[in-house]
Amino acid sequence: MPAILLERLPLPSLQTYVAASVALLAVALLYTHHAVLTTPTLSMVEKEAMAAMQSPSSLQQSPAEDPGPSFFDLLRFDISPEESDPDAEAEEDLDSGNLTLPYDTYGMNFMFMLTSEAWCVWTLVNTVYCVLILLGKLIQAIVFGDLRVSEQQHLKDKFWNFVFYKFIFIFGVMNVQTMEEVVLWVAWFTCLGFLHLLTQLCKDRFEYLSFSPTTPRRAHVKLLGLLTVLLACASALLGVCIVAGFKFGLTIFAFMAAECVLLGLKALYVVVRYMIHLWDVSMEGVWENRSLYVYYSELVFELSSLSIDFAHHLHMLLWGNIFLSMASLVICMQLRYLFYEFQRRVKRHKNYLRVVKNMQARFPMATQEDLEHNADDCAICWDKMESARKLPCGHLFHNSCLRSWLEQDTSCPTCRMALTERQENANSPANNAPPGAANNANMADAAANANQGTTNHFFHFDGSRYVSWLPSFSVEVTHTSLIPGQQLRLLQAQTSQLDGMLRQVQAVFPNFPQQVILEDLRQTRSVDLTIDNILEGRLTATRISDVAPMRDDFRAVPTAPSETPVREDSPWVAPSAPPMQPPMPSPVSRTGQMAVQAAMQAAAVELSSPPLADPVLPPTQLPTSDAISTFTRQSSQTAESSPASSQSSEEQSLHGDEMLGGGSQTQGGRFSKSASERMTMLQQRKTAMLEQARRRYLSRTSGSSEGTGDGLSSASTPSSTSINTASDEERARRRELMLQATQRRLNSS
Amino acid sequence: MAGSALKRLMAEYKQLTLNPPEGIIAGPINEDNFFEWEALIMGPKDTLFDGGVFPARLTFPPDYPLSPPKMRFTCELFHPNIYPDGRVCISILHAPGDDPMGYETSAERWSPVQSVEKILLSVVSMLAEPNDESAANVDAAKKWREDRKQFEEIAKATVRKSLGL
Repeated sequence: MPAILLERLPLPSLQTYVAASVALLAVALLYTHHAVLTTPTLSMVEKEAMAAMQSPSSLQQSPAEDPGPSFFDLLRFDISPEESDPDAEAEEDLDSGNLTLPYDTYGMNFMFMLTSEAWCVWTLVNTVYCVLILLGKLIQAIVFGDLRVSEQQHLKDKFWNFVFYKFIFIFGVMNVQTMEEVVLWVAWFTCLGFLHLLTQLCKDRFEYLSFSPTTPRRAHVKLLGLLTVLLACASALLGVCIVAGFKFGLTIFAFMAAECVLLGLKALYVVVRYMIHLWDVSMEGVWENRSLYVYYSELVFELSSLSIDFAHHLHMLLWGNIFLSMASLVICMQLRYLFYEFQRRVKRHKNYLRVVKNMQARFPMATQEDLEHNADDCAICWDKMESARKLPCGHLFHNSCLRSWLEQDTSCPTCRMALTERQENANSPANNAPPGAANNANMADAAANANQGTTNHFFHFDGSRYVSWLPSFSVEVTHTSLIPGQQLRLLQAQTSQLDGMLRQVQAVFPNFPQQVILEDLRQTRSVDLTIDNILEGRLTATRISDVAPMRDDFRAVPTAPSETPVREDSPWVAPSAPPMQPPMPSPVSRTGQMAVQAAMQAAAVELSSPPLADPVLPPTQLPTSDAISTFTRQSSQTAESSPASSQSSEEQSLHGDEMLGGGSQTQGGRFSKSASERMTMLQQRKTAMLEQARRRYLSRTSGSSEGTGDGLSSASTPSSTSINTASDEERARRRELMLQATQRRLNSS
Repeated sequence: MAGSALKRLMAEYKQLTLNPPEGIIAGPINEDNFFEWEALIMGPKDTLFDGGVFPARLTFPPDYPLSPPKMRFTCELFHPNIYPDGRVCISILHAPGDDPMGYETSAERWSPVQSVEKILLSVVSMLAEPNDESAANVDAAKKWREDRKQFEEIAKATVRKSLGL
């Protein structure tokens, strides 16, 4: 690749280059200055010569005397176009004897001298480039600051590619012969390349800025300002094209305009994307159509720039009268690349359209009722769902989220049920869904199908066939006469109410087993009464860790069926879902918990737990809550590979948090609004964790040398240390709540 | 796509901060770039890597969560499922399309409902129970299978090293 070779060139540093350029310019200026001052004597000599000029011999000498007429011409065209007036040129040619002093003022003469010397001209060209580089650096310093590595790399690649292709263009396609043309084209491409590089930089920077939520407004304003300037420059260049088109013909115009339009399109695309991004960021909530706009703007811009580029290259190939050359080969390769890109894009769009059509035809929009039943965020973007599409397996997703997923895969993101078009015929659950993950959903499907015909059904689920920890169980489905909607809503209301009360109680007794509290709350229906019960020792805290493994099994598995589509899908089948467990009126997950409570109460009899005399619990008791949280974590971990949607695991983690109580907050639970604060907090948590682990490691190594292998104490070390470091504030709050409860009790009695 | 990815990552970061799983801390290295995270993973209790704190780097693609992030441990970790350069080889990190080992069912692989938390929890369980059937580090897998004692020694040294002791 040319870029790689060129990259290895030993380029001088910017400082050296600028210094050399300035020195060169100074020398050139000095030289010219000197020359202008000394011209009178020269002109005197030439005047004498002019007297003898009448003879034809000296006439022939004068053009030869001029070292570089082409440079001279080109520069007058390039830098001082006012001098390129053909009249002036003719005039000069006429009285060539007066060549050294065509103007009256020193300044004009100075310019004239500067442009008539070849090396001065090159110095000027060099100076122009130097200024351009400095301008680029300035813009970079103002708008971008330090460039990132990837941006630098992009810039370099782009630069050398540009140089390479334009070189091919100038010498291969245009096949320019005169120096004047070369310099004109070089000047044109210099401007164009400069703007191209800046646009590329803007694009990269925009993409980077969109990675951060905390970009200051100033950065956006600067970048957008620069983009506007770039757009203005592109349109100005288009104006130049039109002027040049009138002068040099349509072909030249087409060549130049294509480049301009490409530049403009690129800049405009970045601006449009930027606007969409800013609009999205500033908007609260979900912008359902965002991805639609993003997609179509990308499509339109990509296709149009590809087609313009293609036409441009085709034009080059056809117009260049040299078919068999390296240049035509390069252009052919470029054409091929552009063609494949175009094809790829069109193919992708076809796929997109197919997906959209398929989605609209097969996955209906979820009804309001579905959304209420689901009461969860979209599992893909974790945002709230105001409208959603429903898959045959009952899972809901945002329209746009689902579409972008289906573009690359054809299964339900949650349960992996295959969503290919032929799937509708293949109804046997074993075929279309992978084992393990989707079997619960399949089972529910089977239940739903079976229910349509008969009322009672018997299902056997052999979990260990798929994953070792999955239990095996049998379920008998019977019809009950409960009205599904009512029952469900009632249960949901109860659950959320209970959860709220549970949280209140746990604020006071963070380490008290959740199940016991829940059980009591179900009976008392009052936070105060439950707190009183606990204070009076009517409720007993059991060591949950002893029963937890059992609990874990219950929690991990029965929550899964509660997520299955049966309830969401067809309301009239719903009554079959709760009675899948032993006939109890509550939803499955609660049934599991109640069963656990029964077991725990049995355990509570055996384990005489200490009555809670001291309201603020000594740290030695805290391991219990830690143990619970560990198990909840484990259960959520196991649940992840089962079809339970994120709701169930989130629900569990929520409980885990509640049970952790103050413990989790000491781990740095607050999510600060300020980015810097968040970063320091994260850092603190990391160092704390490392510190803790170190301490634990050291204490254990010393402990193991003594030979005390107390499993419980070693396991609880990190949590107890973290709780020991808990803020006193937290403890004070707890104590206060406790005091209030005690006072209430005293007042009532 | 970066916009929705950013929102999702923000939500995940929030959840992981408010409600951190045991022995896991994760967050962006620098909030200027939400697509580069660092995670600290504590070796699970009563396993070979018990007590160690292992830093890892997570790199998210712009179309996250449609594509999985890449995860690489930045510390030395001798483990059958971790490449010598630190890359983690677990099925949850593989996009549904590609199947480097050729035996995973797509159910085990990445889907947008997965999250950083689930990845990290999977890694924790991978640390606890190496899967020597799909070895990323063949040496480690061999040692794990044939010379458990030496593997334990190495694991202990790793734990010690990760704590900077």
